[in-house]
Amino acid sequence: MQCMANEGRHSQMLRGVLDICLLAVLDAGPAYGYEMTKRLRERGLASVGEGSIYPLLGRLERDGLVDTYRAASNGGPPRKYYRPSSAGRLALAVGVSEWRAARDAIDAVLAPVKIEVVS
Amino acid sequence: MSDFVEQCRTEWKRLGVPDSIAEEMQSDLASDIREAEADGIAVEELLGSSASDPRAFAASWATERGIVPMRSGRANRRRGRLALIAFTGVAATALIVAALLLATGEPKVGLAPSRATPPPHFLGATASFVPPPSRVQASAAAPIEWMLLCLAIVALGFSAWLWSRWDRPRVPTAPAQ
Repeated sequence: MQCMANEGRHSQMLRGVLDICLLAVLDAGPAYGYEMTKRLRERGLASVGEGSIYPLLGRLERDGLVDTYRAASNGGPPRKYYRPSSAGRLALAVGVSEWRAARDAIDAVLAPVKIEVVS
Repeated sequence: MSDFVEQCRTEWKRLGVPDSIAEEMQSDLASDIREAEADGIAVEELLGSSASDPRAFAASWATERGIVPMRSGRANRRRGRLALIAFTGVAATALIVAALLLATGEPKVGLAPSRATPPPHFLGATASFVPPPSRVQASAAAPIEWMLLCLAIVALGFSAWLWSRWDRPRVPTAPAQ
């Protein structure tokens, strides 16, 4: 039960910042869907929780935060590549600032707590 | 093509996603799933909990892309669920009513009047040994209670089947070679 609750919190926290994470991995270079998953994994985000990156990519595209184009992948079929638009880079910069501010505030609140579960 | 991708395509078609866009999403998704599986990554890892509900996943993707109206997919599911709840309620009520009528024995309603029982005034002195007309009528003709019971059972069975399909997780299978 406790484990499920923790997974729910993990998912909820991710839901708020996954768009920033996607923009961050795209900032390293254009990528298609699965390639983004691999980059997230390489940076330590193995699971995206309850959601999936595809609807989120759709939203980023709809909001004009990413540009897309189709190109052949390495030895594979043509894929849809995503890259941050200028509005997307701005959203990334704003998002990173917001995340760091929130993280610092939460860290300050949690700092006195001496108990912790080591996973 | 995997069952998951196939069901996504069906859902996009149902939602009215233009063929060219559906084709593109289908192709990208299928390629990604194939590549992930080649890397030893399960579909569940790639898609999270969405892997168990392709219809919701497909609707969410199309909605977030702005291809279908924001509320369309969810509203349709909500309307369908409400209709199913109402149908189940009516069937259950009919079952209870039919069971109560059969258990209490009153009132008995026949589809056709019984010809086996003469009117009471012809029976004379033996009238007290003849069952009440309603009883005779009920046994002589197919009573509506039994038909109602049968219909209610069939309706509840159909309803249960619909619920099982509604809530059934759709586990993707390996892509066809």
